[in-house]
Amino acid sequence: MDTISSEKKTIEQVLAENGAYIGPTVGVSMLPLLKTRRDTIVVKPKTERLQRLDVALYRRGDAYVLHRVLQPIEGGYIIRGDNCYSDEKVPENAVIGVLTEFFRKGKHVYCTDKRYIRYANRRIKTYKIRRFFVILKSKAKAAVKKIIGRK
Amino acid sequence: MKIKKGFVVRVVGGESVVVPVGELSKTFHGMINLNETGAFLWNFFTEEHTIDEGVAALCGEYEVDEERARVDVEKFAEIITQNGFIE
Repeated sequence: MDTISSEKKTIEQVLAENGAYIGPTVGVSMLPLLKTRRDTIVVKPKTERLQRLDVALYRRGDAYVLHRVLQPIEGGYIIRGDNCYSDEKVPENAVIGVLTEFFRKGKHVYCTDKRYIRYANRRIKTYKIRRFFVILKSKAKAAVKKIIGRK
Repeated sequence: MKIKKGFVVRVVGGESVVVPVGELSKTFHGMINLNETGAFLWNFFTEEHTIDEGVAALCGEYEVDEERARVDVEKFAEIITQNGFIE
């Protein structure tokens, strides 16, 4: 066996030492693709400018965020999680890595896989309609709450 | 000896890496790299087995003498015990 280490390192350290970060995902922002603490991501260091559909790993303060690039812009990217409803402008220097493959429900998927690329495109294309229904659902909930509150 | 539940072995670029899943991923943040023998033993000890059974399994899987296999299994057992990976 090479190593067993439970020493806590930053992802930047792991990327520099191992050339890849392989670990669990945490959070709901990349649903339905990645489920928290179930799926495993493989992130490699960013070596070139990311493209539309790439999933970037970046620093937001002390936290790490894994979201999809919608559009490369000057000095950075417009980024949004697959399960998020607002965009974020992320500077180039905050991006430390890119998702290259992942294990979803135990199945190994490469980000070059055609089915995966179709999913990623579809997720972006259906954004407006999904957002419409999310807003509608939230308004309907608020209305129901108001009606119940009156009684 | 049996390895705790909550770890999965992922093969990435021909390398075996153990990562935590579920509740265990809240407390364990490391990445465990395994060589071929390590990956074999990890999978073997996900079920309850003794050191002797591990030695026999390793000898059955690879062309290795018992003495060398025992050294490997005992070293593996020591590391996973020290790191709290066994039940």
